[in-house]
Amino acid sequence: MSTHDEGSDTWVGKAVLRKEDQRLLRGFGTYVDDVPEPRGTLHLSMLRSPYAHARVLSVDTSEAESLDGVVAVVTGADVADLIPPFAADYERPGFKISHRPALATDTVRFVGDGVALVLAENAYVAEDAIGLIYVEYEPLPAVADVEEALQPDAPRIHEDLEDNILLTGGNKTDGFDAVFQSADHVFRERFRINRVAGVAMEPRGCLAIYDKAEDAVTLWTGTQVPHMLRVGIARYLGWSESQVRVVAPDVGGGFGPKMYLYPEELLAVALARQYRSPVKWIEDRLEDFLTTYHARDHVYDVEVAFNDDGTVQAVNVDVLVNSGAYSNYPMGVGLEPFQGPLNMPGPYRFRQFAFTCKGIATNTCSTGAFRGVSAPCVTMAMEGMMDRMARHLGLDRVEIRRRNIIHSDEFPYLNVNNQRYDTGSYVECLDRALEMVDYEGYLAAQTPERIIDGKYRGIGIAVVTELTGQGAARYKARNLSDLPGFDGAHLAIEPNGQVIASTSFSSQGQGHETVFAQVIADELGVSVDDITVRGGDTQNSPFGTGTFASRGAVLGGGAVIRASGDLREKIKKFAAHLLEASPDDIVLEGGHAHVQGVREMRVSFYEIARAAYGLTDSMQLPEGEDFGLEALATYDPPASSIANACHIACVAVDAATGIVEVERYIVVHDCGRVINPLLVESQVQGGVAQGLGQALFEEVLYDAEGQLLSATLMDYMVPTACDVPTLEFEHIESPSSDTLGGFKGAGEGGVIGSLPAIACAVGDALVPVGANINRLPLRPDTVLSLIEGADG
Amino acid sequence: MSTARREVRVTVNGRAYSRSVEPRMLLADFVRHECGLTGTHVGCAHGVCGACTVVLDGVSARSCLTFAIQADGKEITTVEGLAEGDSLNALQQAFHENHALQCGYCTPGFLMSLTEFLRETPDPDEAQIRERLSGNLCRCTGYANIVRAVQAAAQRLREEGRT
Amino acid sequence: MAEHGIDARPLAGGQSLVPLINMRMAQPAVLVDLNRCSELAYLREEDGVLACGPMIRQRELELSPLVRRHCPLIAEAMPHMGHATIRNRGTAGGSLSHADPSAELPGVALAMDAEMVAEGPNGRRNIPVAEFFFAELTTALAADEVLREIRFPKANSHTVAAFAEVGSHFGGLAIVGVAVQVERDTAGRCTKVVLAATGAGERPTRLPSAESILTGEALEERTIMAAAEAAASDVDPLEDLHASAHWRRRAAVAMVAQALRQIAAGVHSR
Repeated sequence: MSTHDEGSDTWVGKAVLRKEDQRLLRGFGTYVDDVPEPRGTLHLSMLRSPYAHARVLSVDTSEAESLDGVVAVVTGADVADLIPPFAADYERPGFKISHRPALATDTVRFVGDGVALVLAENAYVAEDAIGLIYVEYEPLPAVADVEEALQPDAPRIHEDLEDNILLTGGNKTDGFDAVFQSADHVFRERFRINRVAGVAMEPRGCLAIYDKAEDAVTLWTGTQVPHMLRVGIARYLGWSESQVRVVAPDVGGGFGPKMYLYPEELLAVALARQYRSPVKWIEDRLEDFLTTYHARDHVYDVEVAFNDDGTVQAVNVDVLVNSGAYSNYPMGVGLEPFQGPLNMPGPYRFRQFAFTCKGIATNTCSTGAFRGVSAPCVTMAMEGMMDRMARHLGLDRVEIRRRNIIHSDEFPYLNVNNQRYDTGSYVECLDRALEMVDYEGYLAAQTPERIIDGKYRGIGIAVVTELTGQGAARYKARNLSDLPGFDGAHLAIEPNGQVIASTSFSSQGQGHETVFAQVIADELGVSVDDITVRGGDTQNSPFGTGTFASRGAVLGGGAVIRASGDLREKIKKFAAHLLEASPDDIVLEGGHAHVQGVREMRVSFYEIARAAYGLTDSMQLPEGEDFGLEALATYDPPASSIANACHIACVAVDAATGIVEVERYIVVHDCGRVINPLLVESQVQGGVAQGLGQALFEEVLYDAEGQLLSATLMDYMVPTACDVPTLEFEHIESPSSDTLGGFKGAGEGGVIGSLPAIACAVGDALVPVGANINRLPLRPDTVLSLIEGADG
Repeated sequence: MSTARREVRVTVNGRAYSRSVEPRMLLADFVRHECGLTGTHVGCAHGVCGACTVVLDGVSARSCLTFAIQADGKEITTVEGLAEGDSLNALQQAFHENHALQCGYCTPGFLMSLTEFLRETPDPDEAQIRERLSGNLCRCTGYANIVRAVQAAAQRLREEGRT
Repeated sequence: MAEHGIDARPLAGGQSLVPLINMRMAQPAVLVDLNRCSELAYLREEDGVLACGPMIRQRELELSPLVRRHCPLIAEAMPHMGHATIRNRGTAGGSLSHADPSAELPGVALAMDAEMVAEGPNGRRNIPVAEFFFAELTTALAADEVLREIRFPKANSHTVAAFAEVGSHFGGLAIVGVAVQVERDTAGRCTKVVLAATGAGERPTRLPSAESILTGEALEERTIMAAAEAAASDVDPLEDLHASAHWRRRAAVAMVAQALRQIAAGVHSR
């Protein structure tokens, strides 16, 4: 595979510093709001419903229209013909389709639902005009809580549906009931997982530029999925795809909420064409909290049946997911309800599993993907139950896990959900993490009262698996018609010998320009410095799925390996022709092609390129070969690859205030063959910070009437540098047996491990008060109540 | 009356700009859209995230909480003014070498705040660094590499004998 | 301001007001920019007081040797106020006039029994600090008045101060804080104790029950705990999405203990 068989260093595996940094550190990054605005750009500002549920009786736009600088005021009625309501295609029993209009016509369903918009000459005037639109609403009863929405007399979010249940699902393994009944013990517990927000530092925004000559629109937008967005926009507007170009420039954080098609994007594109003007929309942070899709907000009823020896026999989980007001595109509402049960078994070998799941509509902002999806949450439940079982049986928490964990000699392993575990190191990561934290020493110093210096101290251990690198087979098995599943790479050697690569991904900070270059560098024997990697632009990149769900390394790595392979063959043929040798004897190294064993017989990529592009004084075309030096390849991995990690958190809980401090945090992480260890570690560090935030203080809070209470960064707390410890981190590599390159994904592991590790650590710290940790976030208020509850 | 445009003359990164703006225009928007210096970013417009931090009259300031006309006659430094020609300065280089940025959106704000911090506290301990960093939010990195970058930059600047 | 009435708002550091304007929660027709009024930015040592102009930047107070020497409580509290960049622009007058219940400087002013000098078209008047902070985000200033000067009494050389605060996480907004200033005799007994809590009510609150327990006593763990618990009955906390009233009460108790322990141990809060 690699041509580096003559003793030189490989790029894959090295902590290569990022190529992206130069422009970002200088302030030359181009985020959507930085894209030069063509003359005449109209600024779009949205009027959003202040009610969680209401009929829209009338919209009076006359005063807004007459404000100086306002070009148009647009209502739902105005765009109803331009943009039909949109919904994800999700053909599956138990799923009810619900459509979302780009702008509400007769009903608003959550606070923030768009009712009208203004197009004006600048953003300040556009916002002024919003204040001059008068809407007559008839408020309706609203429901924000998922269990209340299930009540028979609950307000109906979608009148055309018989209830608020948008999705139901379930499964039970054969023989479940018998095994469940015959187990020695059953523990039952309800877990309530908080709703959180992605809070990417760059708010959402887009700039739609209309080209009147082409009758086409270029949409600049901070999206994780440019190609899927293009398909969706063309489809819903009824345009040819050639009329739509989507460009994701530099994007200031994605994390999941930016993998969706939002109404503002459809509106900007449609109105840019209608008004033959560029249209720009940039949200502010309040709008971001109101309308950028939220995440989590789950209820789990968990039952774990286990024996005296600590082995889990059967697990049952009933999942309720608060889907919010509308199904989102392209994932639909099935994401979190199904991914929870899918990921629950984790590294454990139990053979009986049953679940039901429901996605329930409420009058809140829609929920969707956010780093880890349901995995951090179900893992918190599973690891929490493991700790409870251990305490009940008088077993050490590590020992009970050992009795349930899949061992490395069992791979490939088909788990109880028929999920193939390709390779892994569950025990090895656990062992190493225990060494790093000095587990024996920690236990020896711990007292039953747990209090030292006025703080309860505890340790939490989470052994986790991470679902990564999903391809088409997985998405089709999940009935996700709008997700292609594969990704692509196009590679070219330019006439000057440099390598240009373009992939179907866009980057939001993952360092694609560097990591894909590393893979290509090894494949073609060139330096990372001679490779430029682009992405994000549908006009200049091959079709594919995009960046989410820890797929970049696997799908992108695989695609560039395939494209490199094709290109390498061509390079060798040209080199062989120029060197009068056989292509089989050609080795690529150091930007040159040389005859195996005879380094002096070589040509540079520059010379090869000149020949391939006909820029020589004589014909240099090998027999049977075409001009040009490029390759296009797609990659679809077999199914998915499973990464794993062990996370250990050591916490201190202040007995007087309930505030939780994470004092130490250890991670031993296995994402298969590591491309760039520096980037992987930083992804995990960032993920741990987000999990810490959700575990301890982040919460999107609605009141019972669906009013959003946490709409600013003063109310929604994001972790600061004083909250997050520096990880003690090590890699273990179990290359995937299934993926090209042996890579696995690494983006979400940090969150998947930190939610359970921190929750379990607090549970351990509070053993003396006998509190089960089954509610997030663990705010000081909540923790203090647990502590005081013990005394009361 | 109060919406009539006013003349603003500022020096940004050593270059003079003269524009006519509404009194309510924020300095962040002025720097970005009037001066075309888009390195300063707006993350919240309520003074919490710090992405908009610039140096105004010698001290770090949230440009989203300042009106452009308040900067009339003053000197501003933005992230674009940090590099020394084509070379990253010591702090930027330390960020690069320590992989202290991912998406890069918060980075300019950190750089402007830290430039002041390292001048005032040339030999900070980790607690002081984290305390200073807590005035800026990052959602990508989890801060560890930013701490490392500050430590590296502080050391290099001390060795070079200047801040 | 007299001309425009309630349509006009004075603009000091902007760190509290401009966020509200940006979010369109406050929409004054006129902003009166005090930043160019250099005569309002001063810190002057007078007999028995440090007189601050309202536009003195929080950062200047933080770094001032005069403040460190004569008003140790201000010096202790300043590093807790927001973040350094906020303190560069934020002003003493602005923070005091904004009267956020969780703001530190109002608690400090209350604890120090500062003189609050208001000025309007009808001239100057002193507002006793206990009356100045009226309710949440509301002071006793009339619509056409500004806070013209704050006169902080100088502490004597025996006075020691501390400030402790806590929020829902680290490095973020504080919810509850406690300011303490004590004088002790040579035997270590408190001859004068002032305790004030922030964020434990609509406005900063003195803690007289705690103060009376400590007066005449040494700062030992027993008396500290007793004083801290007594403070629980002195506060009337609000409830919001950040914390319950109960938690605020308990946090006030914890912060009284923490601040007093700092003094007992001879360490400063930062």
